[in-house]
Amino acid sequence: MATTTTVMLETTTAADGAEQPLLKVDGLSVTFFTPTGAVHAVRDASFEIKRGEVVGLVGESGCGKSTMAYAIMGYLPGEPEVGGAVYLDGQDMAELGPAELRALRGNRVAMVYQDPALALNPTMKVGLQILEAISEHLTLDAAQAAERMAELIESVGLPDPERIAESYPHQLSGGQQQRIVIAMALACDPDLLLMDEPTTGLDVTTEATILDLVADLKGRVNAGILYVSHNLGVVARIADRVVVMYAGQTVEEAPVRDLFKDPRHPYTVGLLSCVPKPVADTGAVTRLQSIRGSVFPSAQSDPGMCLFSDRCPMATDRCTSEAPTPASVSDSHESRCFYPDDVSTDLWDELVEREAPHENGKEPTLTVKGLHRVYGKWQRKYLFFGPKVKPPVRAVENVDFEVGAGRTVGIVGESGSGKSTVARSIVGLVPRDEGDLELRGEDLPAEADERNADQKASLRMVFQNPTSSLNPKLPVRHNILRPLQKFTDMTASEREERACELLESVGLDASYMDRQPLQLSGGQQQRVALAAAFAGDPELIVADEPVSALDVSVQAQVLNLLEDHQREKGTSYVFISHDLGVVRYVSDEIVVLYAGHVAESGPAEDVLSTPSHPYTEALLSAAPVPDPDATPTPIRLGGSVPKQHEQFKGCFFASRCPRKIGDVCDNTPPPLQTSPGSPTHEIHCHIPLEELARLQDSSVATLG
Amino acid sequence: MTRFLVRRISLIVVTLLVVSTAIFAITEILPGDVAQMVMGQGATEQNLKHIRETLGLDRPAPVRYLDWIGGVVRGDMGHSFVQKIPVTEVIEPRLANSLILAAFAFLVAVPSAVAIGVWMGVRQGSKTDHAVSVGSLVAISLPEFVTGVLLIIVFSSFLGWLPSSSAILPGTSPLTRPLILVLPTLTLTGVLFAYIMRMTRANVIEVLNTQYVRTAVLKGLPMRRVLLRHVVPNAMLPTISVIAVNMGWMLGGLIIVENVFAYPGLGQLLLTAINTRDVPLLQTLALIIAGTYALSNLVADLSYGALDPRIRLT
Repeated sequence: MATTTTVMLETTTAADGAEQPLLKVDGLSVTFFTPTGAVHAVRDASFEIKRGEVVGLVGESGCGKSTMAYAIMGYLPGEPEVGGAVYLDGQDMAELGPAELRALRGNRVAMVYQDPALALNPTMKVGLQILEAISEHLTLDAAQAAERMAELIESVGLPDPERIAESYPHQLSGGQQQRIVIAMALACDPDLLLMDEPTTGLDVTTEATILDLVADLKGRVNAGILYVSHNLGVVARIADRVVVMYAGQTVEEAPVRDLFKDPRHPYTVGLLSCVPKPVADTGAVTRLQSIRGSVFPSAQSDPGMCLFSDRCPMATDRCTSEAPTPASVSDSHESRCFYPDDVSTDLWDELVEREAPHENGKEPTLTVKGLHRVYGKWQRKYLFFGPKVKPPVRAVENVDFEVGAGRTVGIVGESGSGKSTVARSIVGLVPRDEGDLELRGEDLPAEADERNADQKASLRMVFQNPTSSLNPKLPVRHNILRPLQKFTDMTASEREERACELLESVGLDASYMDRQPLQLSGGQQQRVALAAAFAGDPELIVADEPVSALDVSVQAQVLNLLEDHQREKGTSYVFISHDLGVVRYVSDEIVVLYAGHVAESGPAEDVLSTPSHPYTEALLSAAPVPDPDATPTPIRLGGSVPKQHEQFKGCFFASRCPRKIGDVCDNTPPPLQTSPGSPTHEIHCHIPLEELARLQDSSVATLG
Repeated sequence: MTRFLVRRISLIVVTLLVVSTAIFAITEILPGDVAQMVMGQGATEQNLKHIRETLGLDRPAPVRYLDWIGGVVRGDMGHSFVQKIPVTEVIEPRLANSLILAAFAFLVAVPSAVAIGVWMGVRQGSKTDHAVSVGSLVAISLPEFVTGVLLIIVFSSFLGWLPSSSAILPGTSPLTRPLILVLPTLTLTGVLFAYIMRMTRANVIEVLNTQYVRTAVLKGLPMRRVLLRHVVPNAMLPTISVIAVNMGWMLGGLIIVENVFAYPGLGQLLLTAINTRDVPLLQTLALIIAGTYALSNLVADLSYGALDPRIRLT
């Protein structure tokens, strides 16, 4: 069966000539029928992909990006109603029988998934998982197949293919797992590669290396690539063309440069305005824009209007009474808007200048001195006897910083760097072994249980995932009233009133009081979590990746809320994020953590400009910037953060440092250097600062 | 691995010690007297005293316990109070009979339950699935003495195909008359089968919804291969512990089934030992049951470790 399909498809290609696009999606619509009604996941989507081309597919969550990718694969749960057509080399995919479709999957069309840890079978060696795809579609004998497998593993940049092939997924890092998934997708030299958010769950440094791999693939294989992502920076870095989806429709399509420099749909402009961008040359710092409202509900059927009109700042009567169709703006640029020529980049309100950063005049709100935390104990060879074989797990070592009143300290670092342990130590969720915390100059007990109500009220935390940090069984009311009840002596009616105020301050009206958290969108949930954190008028809020799980438009709302609250109340923040763009935007000071050690700390501008610690430099170099013209600096970190029970003799960063100077790095702990111009800017490195600055300036360090 | 085994086996020894103490204590509390049981109602005080002395029952309980446990450590399980022969000799033939029955039940129940569980998981929501679900619930709800009697009524009394009693002459093996094993095996299998089947079905459904199964399907693998290579191995992981727990359950079932069918196995012997207050016999039987239970859990953990590379036994 497999051979017949291939032959048939090849003849189609030959007959129609080279003009034909590899993939043509024509008016695709996908409607799921659920017990609560029809869900229009994709409404009217059309675009094409040519061979050797990377097409980025962007949009907020709920816009149908992933459904589109799976619809192309012919893999949709349930029995949805599919309209329109998907053509692969001119072949209508809907006409293929199950066996023909199977012969296509993993062979001519292959997929890369969002979470490689879940996409790989945990109980099967990864080599075998790749081998399966090879032997299913190619007629190779065992030795040839094994050879091909080794080649594939090598081609995705993994060293020592024999060892890797014999590993189980859990023995590999996230980046290595994703490389295996990519190798699996490349097994049969696919014509079309569908990548569904392939770097979303990865560290920024790993993301950069995977993106390099995808860019490299583009040159090597003659496949068309559909790259689904919510991250405009990522798309700007690797896509040739970009398709923007909104509420299941494709609303704009253009070559990547045109789309970022000359967007012609208000939604695209909105998405671009939401992203915190590097400080422009002029130094004018503008407030983040956000797109009000939320995605047109997929449960509603097409009412014959522009689906974006309810969120669009330039909507007219025509927009609400007539549905726009995609119209050409230029040869290669299409927009589904009645007024593409009126769209401009400052469409989204006036750009408001941010107020100057707060002065750090008063005593610091929080002081962290020599924070040290290990988990577990030394393990001995035989339970209680024998030599010590495994040291305890290091989380943080000697972390010092201060948070001034009304200021924000950003903490950045890869996963495993100890960011969350610092956060949890501050709010007293983990006992610390050594080191002192001071709140307004007074000693703060290590564990939350030992702290008094005032201290607890002063330090509040906002978590990454609001869906799991709000109690799903209790209404919003409870989540906000509880801290008021604990931390204030208000009467019941005062509390009720205050709770409504708090909700309003985060942009939700009083009707949300009795909703259940699960009825709210992710952004609304996080705003409820913020309102709850604001409830006791805390002096310091620890925000652990508070916007990482949110869409860009919602991310902007949450960041603006935090900023407004800080300006109004003078609250201090410890803001943890892996996204340098966000940290750069919100922070007055930045602490860069690596493997539990402070690599660099100081005022935000100083940390992010030369000279910086080689690790900071690598992070900056890896961070995707939503500008297709940005020249990416070629500094990449291989490997991953050292195993947490490894002990460092020399510099904690020596094993991965791209600027390592020699044995001194391996054998001597790095000295603390202070830059002459900025006494609070500290770098732990063996390389003299002037030398660092010279090296970094010469390597096209356009760090914003 | 060695460390794991050493630790687990020492834990098993501790468990057995605790079990033996508990059993000994319970037999002390139980009303009734061994000497009375041995001699019958007409025994004189003199006779009873004599019996107590010969059996060593006049000594204090802790001394008797230590004496007994000392023997166990040397491999001497003591003599049966009632039959006056070494406990090991009483148990040996019975143990073989019980093992045969248990093995049959296990070999019938486990493979068929897993196979049907996988099939129902794949065909989730179909009419067959519903029918099997209801059937298995009924099997779980009915105790063995009810299913056993029902089976006797249908297959012996009504259809007359199979013998209703599984009694055999002492010294003969049940394997010489395999027909007598059919009904006890079926009765024992019922609950075991239903539990394992339901567990397998639930796990298969869960695994079918994982992303790695989606990956396998989108690799273009045929459904049969997806099931055999990706779904079943992962679905079996939690099932294994259920099988181990059910081994213990089956031991309980054995006692009932053997009594219903008059099958000369350990279960029947255990009941006799309780009735006659035959403490050395009772102790040994309790140790065998507890030991089997602990060992099957150990085997489950070991096979879990062998099947799931993420688990490291330490």
